[in-house]
Amino acid sequence: MNTDLVIGMAGSGGDGIVSAGESLLTAAALEGYHGVMAKSFGPQIRGGESSFRLRICTQKVLNTGGTLDIAVALNWDDFLKFGGELPVSGNTTVIYDANTNVAPDKIPLVGVTPAEVLMVPIEQIARETGGSDRAKNTVVLGLMAGWLGIGKEKMLAGIRKRLAKKGAETVDKAEKAFHAGLAYALEHPLKRTRTMAEPEKPTAKFVVDGNDLCAAAAIVAGCDFFSGYPITPSSEIMHFLGREIWKYGGTMLQAEDEIAGIGAVVGASFAGKKAMTATSGPGMSLKTEMLGLATIAELPLVCVNVMRGGPSTGIPTKGEQSDLLQAAFSAHGDVIRPVLAAISAEDMFPITIEAFNMAEHYQTPVIVLSDQEVGQRKETAEPIDVSTVKLVERQRPSEKELERYARFRLTESGISPISHPGMKGGNYLASGIEHNEAGAPTANGEIHAKMNEKRLRKFNPLKRRRDLFIVEGSPDAPLALISWGSVAGMAIEAHRILVSEGLKVKLLVPRLLFPVSEEVYQDFFLSIKRGLVVEQNHLSQLYRLLRMYVDVPRGIETLAKSGSNPFTPMEIVDRMRQISLALQRETQHVPSEV
Amino acid sequence: MSTLAVRPIEEYTAKDYKSELKPIWCPGCGDFGVVQAIYRALANIGRPPHEIAFISGIGCSSRIPGYTTAYGFNTVHGRALPIAQGIKLANPDLLVLGAGGDGDGFSIGGGHVAHVIRRNIDMTYIVMDNQIYGLTKGQLSPTSRPGLQTVSSAHGSMESPVNPLLYVLGYGAQFVAQGTPADMNGLAKIIEEGIRFPGFAFINVQSPCVTYGQEDQQLKAQKAMMQTLESMKHDPGNRLAAMDLAQQYGEKLYTGVFYRNPTPGPTFDGLARKRQQAMKDQVKSRADVLNVFKLVK
Ligand SMILES: Cc1ncc(C[n+]2csc(CCOP(=O)(O)OP(=O)(O)O)c2C)c(N)n1
Ligand code: SF4
Repeated sequence: MNTDLVIGMAGSGGDGIVSAGESLLTAAALEGYHGVMAKSFGPQIRGGESSFRLRICTQKVLNTGGTLDIAVALNWDDFLKFGGELPVSGNTTVIYDANTNVAPDKIPLVGVTPAEVLMVPIEQIARETGGSDRAKNTVVLGLMAGWLGIGKEKMLAGIRKRLAKKGAETVDKAEKAFHAGLAYALEHPLKRTRTMAEPEKPTAKFVVDGNDLCAAAAIVAGCDFFSGYPITPSSEIMHFLGREIWKYGGTMLQAEDEIAGIGAVVGASFAGKKAMTATSGPGMSLKTEMLGLATIAELPLVCVNVMRGGPSTGIPTKGEQSDLLQAAFSAHGDVIRPVLAAISAEDMFPITIEAFNMAEHYQTPVIVLSDQEVGQRKETAEPIDVSTVKLVERQRPSEKELERYARFRLTESGISPISHPGMKGGNYLASGIEHNEAGAPTANGEIHAKMNEKRLRKFNPLKRRRDLFIVEGSPDAPLALISWGSVAGMAIEAHRILVSEGLKVKLLVPRLLFPVSEEVYQDFFLSIKRGLVVEQNHLSQLYRLLRMYVDVPRGIETLAKSGSNPFTPMEIVDRMRQISLALQRETQHVPSEV
Repeated sequence: MSTLAVRPIEEYTAKDYKSELKPIWCPGCGDFGVVQAIYRALANIGRPPHEIAFISGIGCSSRIPGYTTAYGFNTVHGRALPIAQGIKLANPDLLVLGAGGDGDGFSIGGGHVAHVIRRNIDMTYIVMDNQIYGLTKGQLSPTSRPGLQTVSSAHGSMESPVNPLLYVLGYGAQFVAQGTPADMNGLAKIIEEGIRFPGFAFINVQSPCVTYGQEDQQLKAQKAMMQTLESMKHDPGNRLAAMDLAQQYGEKLYTGVFYRNPTPGPTFDGLARKRQQAMKDQVKSRADVLNVFKLVK
């Protein structure tokens, strides 16, 4: 019995690879399993190679794991193009289509002997039962249902639902293809069993991806306006809101460029509405002037950056965590803009809600960092209970304050009640020009200093938000493991393995990246001698950012990789073991040579 | 302008729209006349100042919202239109005005003009066209005449000017007019007409820069050369005739309404409202949005 399986499959564009993965994930989710599925495509607009990695677990899981337990190759050329994204090891069961005419001992995997290699006449079965090679993916689903022992009824129901429109004959053929795959699996049991154990709870989960969930969270948060410009891998946020937001009285505007997108959002916020935009790297660069405007005019807005490989067009279809420093410092002028990052697709819900609350409370743009993985991978999630969601509204001026209203009043908190057009008595001039309390433009140095101080001081309470950090492990542990965003899902799992091995390791995952909460890090580092910061970028951006604000112990190292080079939990575990050994050597008494 | 905007609640006078801020403009700057004309137009319309949002970019001319009692927003260079659109879409009941210089509108912000026209957002956009960059002290602007010598074109401009009137007519603007503070009554009248037009209205104002502008662009010269389209018996319902007259931009000074679509098309803000109304019964509360993730419905 297995509690945790990683399945990888690749083929060419027309093979329905991704839809097969989604069917399997959906069936598993309906039975109560947890799962994460990443899809990956070649650079072609249509067709080309495509693949998925799906991890199915009986318990909550935050990443797509390491090497594959089951690898399915519909053809070897396409499979090999995914390299490290579909790693085969000595524990892998390799299944491939007999139509490739490669003998099981001649498969083109270099330097590894898989646990088992099975040649299956996938295409032949598809043609004989489903009537065409397009049924290959359905045959594979049947195989998986047989070998994993899950999802049979759910997948059949899914097939019926999906194909209902195409008529009874099509449904019948697909069902036959599925049953033929299933029968094949039952007749050919695997040497190493891949049967899944029962899930923790048999209740159905949600299946979400970060982009859709971000959009849905925005609606729950009360967002009435979205404007943006299409860019991979963020566009699904716009697509979702373009379908849904109208029902809730809101508006979606596909702008002529990213500047206009965030511009319209600045306008909607000025008009008193909660508003959001979303983009990726190049678009983020275009938005920065408007972020500055919203900062000085103290207008709430949420700006989501679904990060991809950069700079410039970079690798648009693959994730990277290389826009952290940009998010923190893209401003000109003395500015703080809060930056939040979600660690998973499921986490995009609370993070987006938090972003709106923070934006409204502090009257500031808030940047949400997601990435291609968080944005586009499919994931099971616990059903969301909206009644527990707390929403924050911007502080409006009272009747009394409106009698002699000063929009930018220097309050103790630094937060000044904000009016909006339509509110009688609240009339004021908003501007990107420095202004006095009443909003009148000024070039006076004293006023500028006071206003800067107010706009920065208002964020002080944010730095004490310990709830925006995940801290695990015993408080006096000498070893640290730090990570953020999608890669944190790997670090969290690595941490559990290390602790189970008896290592004294503390985990720290910031979901609030900026402003840097000095106190939280100083407390965390008190017991730390050595450790590791893990992130998906070349410059070690989080590590550098921390060194700017915090006394980072000298024993902290980095594990940083450019995008499109996946991490595995075991690789983090291995590196931490080495660090632990080094610490042991260092603390052993070494007689000094005088 | 939305239907709500037509109801005069109280009587307003031009004074009600004038703020206490003292303009930073050079004495004699054409923009003084423009703001006066706006006060008058707004008083005739009669919307209370707090129901008006007045958005500008950056430049001498873009200071204008601060000199009114409306909700003003002096934004960043070239971006008045996108921000104004967001405001109108967020609250279609507001009367939305946009303003700025020729550089703001047709150089850095030129890309936005086509799109606000395509969407036909119900707002009025006033460009104070002085054929020069005022705020940054006298560089070439997109409407500067060929050969013009400025601090940034010491040896004379080698570019031909943008024709703002043809530009917006070409993109399908449904209300296009030109005025000058040399004729205050005429200017106030076309601004009022623009505001009353149910859709995007574009008004080019020949507002001279006394500091960096040319002699023949000053109010005195304008008075001598201006010709009202009305006196020429131009039919503002005729788009081709409007384009023909607009060709003379830079040579002749025609004032009045070049084009007013006799059967104005739908506005984006109006259509958005209709769509919201039509779809609102599909959901009961915001929590319904999560139904898309439910596998068992
Ligand atoms: C992004 C950006 N670039 C440049 C400037 C500098 N700048 C301010 S106003 C302006 C041009 C002003 O000319 P115009 O828009 O015609 O307005 P005018 O001052 O003549 O009324 C420039 C270049 C700026 N504020 N922002
Ligand atoms: S520089 Fe020209 S445009 Fe600017 S205020 Fe002076 S006269 Fe007016």
